Amino acid sequence: MKTRLNDTAQEVELVKIKGVKQGLLLTFSDISDFNKVEAEINSKLTSGFFMRGTHIFFKPGDLSHANEELLRKIFARYGLIFKVMPEVIEKTAPEIKADDTVETEYEDNKEEQERATQEETVKESDDITQMLVVNRTLRGGQEIKTKSSVLVCGNVNPGAQVIAGGSIDIRGKCYGMVHAGAYGNTEAFIIADKLHPTQIRIANLVARPPDDMEETEMAERASIKDGQIVIEPIDR
Amino acid sequence: MSGNKTRAEIIVITSGKGGVGKTTTTANIGVGLAMKDKKVALIDTDTGLRNLDLLLGLENRIMYDLVDVTEGRVPYKKALVPHKKFRNLFLLPTSQVKDKSSVNPEALMKLCDEMKSEFDYILIDCPAGIEQGFQTAIAGADCAIVVTMPEISAVRDADKIIGELGRADKDNIKLIVNRIRPQMVEQGDMLDMKDINDILSITCIGQVPDDEKVVTSTNRGEPVIMTEDSLAGRAYKNIVRRILGEDVEFMDLHKDTFLRRLKRAFGMN
Repeated sequence: MKTRLNDTAQEVELVKIKGVKQGLLLTFSDISDFNKVEAEINSKLTSGFFMRGTHIFFKPGDLSHANEELLRKIFARYGLIFKVMPEVIEKTAPEIKADDTVETEYEDNKEEQERATQEETVKESDDITQMLVVNRTLRGGQEIKTKSSVLVCGNVNPGAQVIAGGSIDIRGKCYGMVHAGAYGNTEAFIIADKLHPTQIRIANLVARPPDDMEETEMAERASIKDGQIVIEPIDR
Repeated sequence: MSGNKTRAEIIVITSGKGGVGKTTTTANIGVGLAMKDKKVALIDTDTGLRNLDLLLGLENRIMYDLVDVTEGRVPYKKALVPHKKFRNLFLLPTSQVKDKSSVNPEALMKLCDEMKSEFDYILIDCPAGIEQGFQTAIAGADCAIVVTMPEISAVRDADKIIGELGRADKDNIKLIVNRIRPQMVEQGDMLDMKDINDILSITCIGQVPDDEKVVTSTNRGEPVIMTEDSLAGRAYKNIVRRILGEDVEFMDLHKDTFLRRLKRAFGMN
């Protein structure tokens, strides 16, 4: 952003909002007069454009501690979560489009919100060790999306989606679309009692099962080996 | 359930996909329950595309419709059309000129509450789709019957509908598999019950074979359950008994068709 351009503009925009993978990123062109910044943010919020539960990020070092707290309170009034941009996740999340968040809201509103409040207290790096438990069958059109790992006690039906930052364990049959390590974790794996997904994704690799997949009585595990997704039977 | 006139069981019959036999199922179960001396009301919620009256042969007796009732123009009792043969079976038809937006979920819930004390069973025939018409139809129901066909698209849509019913906190869901062609299943050209159960995994209360008699009886306005010798009619009778809480074994469609063909060959039928 060139300052010269800003100067010539009728009204100088102090705060820029940009869509990123997990939410919106705020950048500040000038925070010398923080009252003005605050006023601008307030006017943007009152426009009602932001969806509740959206994550608003800022770059570390952009704000003083006091200003950060001030903004956090303002955003919280509108149900928005204000926090530091997670560097690691931004770099390694090529798969998820920003508009995916909308679909998630549709299905698992409650869980998403619960998790959103949890995330406030949990460091980003810890997310992967967390586990989301889904105690039901996911039917066509339903979607689970989380940064953590997922345990599904039930089936994942055709047309359903599970997208996890970590690994996915399905205590049932898997016919839907499953994506483990969705934010780049190539160590992630997928286990199901019957692994017959429409599509299987781990990190940035995509595979679909062969059309004449052999039936096995054993549980199966998909993981990345030598740069390829492989499925093998396992005991459990 | 029987004799207790204070609280009807309200069942919505739905499928997601069109053409799988929601209306046929509603008409047959309705007549079946009436044959068992239950007082039954059938509500058609497929506003703009009403058919239930045709299947029951009641089209020319309609005076008022569901929209008249929910908009408060007439009390529901005035709009009820009694069946020609079964005096304890009533149809509440919907409007053919209005559309789905004419009835909202709250209005239907209110109506169901009002009707509850008068009937043993209230069956709601749901329109296809998952839009407003569906949301309205399921609003007042205690339980749901999902109708599907042994066809991949019908099963997928049923799965979606079961998910939607779950979202609306309707957890008492039963399945009817309609229009089964035993020969095709046998040859592996049609999904069998195991394939369907694999995906849907809900309790099945009926397996109805594809029967030409359904078409002829539909055109006559007499649900197939009223005819004595049809397979589909027998299947519907079994469904009715299961709804009434009896434990009825599923009939073996394969053996039956073979026997019937044998009988026909010997001129016994």
